[in-house]
Amino acid sequence: MAAGTATRVYPFMPGGAADGTKLISGAVALGDLTDKPRFGLKGGGSAAWFATQGIPLPAVNRIGDHRGMRVLRLGNEDILLLAEDAGEKLADVKNTWHAAAAPKGYSSWREEGWAWMRLSGPRLAEAMSSLCALDLRPQKFGADDIAQTRVGHIEAVTFRSPAGFDILFDITASAYFARAVAAVAGHADQHRG
Amino acid sequence: MKLLTCPMNGPRNIDEFQSFGPVRARPDPNETADREWSRHLFRAENRKGIVVEWWRHVPSNYFFLAERDLVSNEIIRTFDASEQRDRA
Repeated sequence: MAAGTATRVYPFMPGGAADGTKLISGAVALGDLTDKPRFGLKGGGSAAWFATQGIPLPAVNRIGDHRGMRVLRLGNEDILLLAEDAGEKLADVKNTWHAAAAPKGYSSWREEGWAWMRLSGPRLAEAMSSLCALDLRPQKFGADDIAQTRVGHIEAVTFRSPAGFDILFDITASAYFARAVAAVAGHADQHRG
Repeated sequence: MKLLTCPMNGPRNIDEFQSFGPVRARPDPNETADREWSRHLFRAENRKGIVVEWWRHVPSNYFFLAERDLVSNEIIRTFDASEQRDRA
């Protein structure tokens, strides 16, 4: 790779740590969004900094919207922006943050530390109920709710997306998570015949 | 399944939590003799009654306080640490 053109290698990419691990598709499908833009701030001053940018913050464990980005409030001073289709707007926020003077919180490096995966498919509810102990039925868990819990036995943040459930977790567990979801989907298939 | 109610995340499997031991007064380094320091550092209280403890909800890395009955192991209540600070 030429100097100065640092490209991130994410786990499922060729040469990545989970290269060769299959992402299941079919009745339960797992998609990888780890290379999509996101930006998180943590620590004292984070919430106040977002407020100065005119980014409205939802309550803790809720999701808000700002210019096509999803704003996840993971704690009083722990905020994450997800920009699946709004990379440029996210880049603006990031650049402004880098240029700003403290206090402004500190970067939580979610774009490097966390994997971002999407579970979908006709048997989504069944698979999710095997992966996560929480009651995630629509009447209990709405479109703007966040659950910080365990999914597939690892610490994770999960919430609804139009296609299914998005799951954020430690990027180093990517291959494990793909295998755990495949095992759960296979098990559901066997029992349904 | 044993449940613990996190003040931020609601009722969860106790498996999602980590205990950090009782809330203890920190001895004043200028006033405390070696004997008391060593007691503070190396001896654990072993009494009956109600204790206020630090707990952490691991997936959200949220620290909070819980009142627990040391005899029945019942969690009486859980609350945000700011509540204790406000009362002090």
